[in-house]
Amino acid sequence: METATHQSDEELLIQGLKSGNEADFRKAVRVYTPGMMAVARYYLDNSTAEEAVQDCWVTVIDAIQNFEGRSGLKTWLHRIVANRSKNHLRKAKREVSADFSETLDPELANRFRPNGRWATPPSLRFDEDAESLMENGALSDCLDQHLATLPETQRSALMLYEAHQHKSNDVCNILDVSASNLRVLLHRARQKIFIMVEKFQETGEC
Amino acid sequence: MLMCRDLARIASDYIDGELGPMDTVSVKMHLLMCGHCRTFIGNLRHSVDLMKAHSSQHVDEELVRRIDERVTESLNARNSDNGKSY
Ligand SMILES: [Zn+2]
Repeated sequence: METATHQSDEELLIQGLKSGNEADFRKAVRVYTPGMMAVARYYLDNSTAEEAVQDCWVTVIDAIQNFEGRSGLKTWLHRIVANRSKNHLRKAKREVSADFSETLDPELANRFRPNGRWATPPSLRFDEDAESLMENGALSDCLDQHLATLPETQRSALMLYEAHQHKSNDVCNILDVSASNLRVLLHRARQKIFIMVEKFQETGEC
Repeated sequence: MLMCRDLARIASDYIDGELGPMDTVSVKMHLLMCGHCRTFIGNLRHSVDLMKAHSSQHVDEELVRRIDERVTESLNARNSDNGKSY
């Protein structure tokens, strides 16, 4: 029953968008814009990304008529943004640059002895559950701060995979990366978050 | 023999179930013997959960407002075009 209600929620929204209902557009813009920005930021600088996402929403007004629902609305929107962003890049004759060569974060790599054992092991167990930890506004702010300093490629991969819960091959498609390179981006980003949370728990500071 | 640093390299793949069967066994064997790596894997998993719970990726209100404006504009333009065609 759960899924049935969810489905019809999305279907209702899509119907509303197809009929050009302004309230439904507001709802959709609020829900889907953060994910669309995560996609666009993979390819473009912030202000170009914002423009691309705005332009996408205008094209969606007509394009939604051809939406057949084979993929979810979210995936469909993310693909539109990805294509538009890639076109931008092509016109500007630029490429996304990312380092896929090293899977270990340098800061974490320094915590091992030459023989491969821990020199500075993780000192304590994060045992509070995630939901109650996120009620801690300071940790949430700290997370935002660190997310902002991640390379765009890592941040977008992390957001799409973790926060927007796309499947791996969807993310690969949207970001134009191979499965193994996506694994590198994800792992690098997660290590940064791990290091940040560890420091926060030890010192109470960001 | 899998060392702690090797395990740290493939820890995300282990967490996501993306490792092959042989590597998965090596990781499990290592975890049985190594408390530090058990803590590491637990904490990394916890970091993943945190990211998932952090869906409060705050909406950029200013951007949403600008998009709403443009969408409304385009919807109105479209409606008045439709009006003419009748
Ligand atoms: Zn170990």
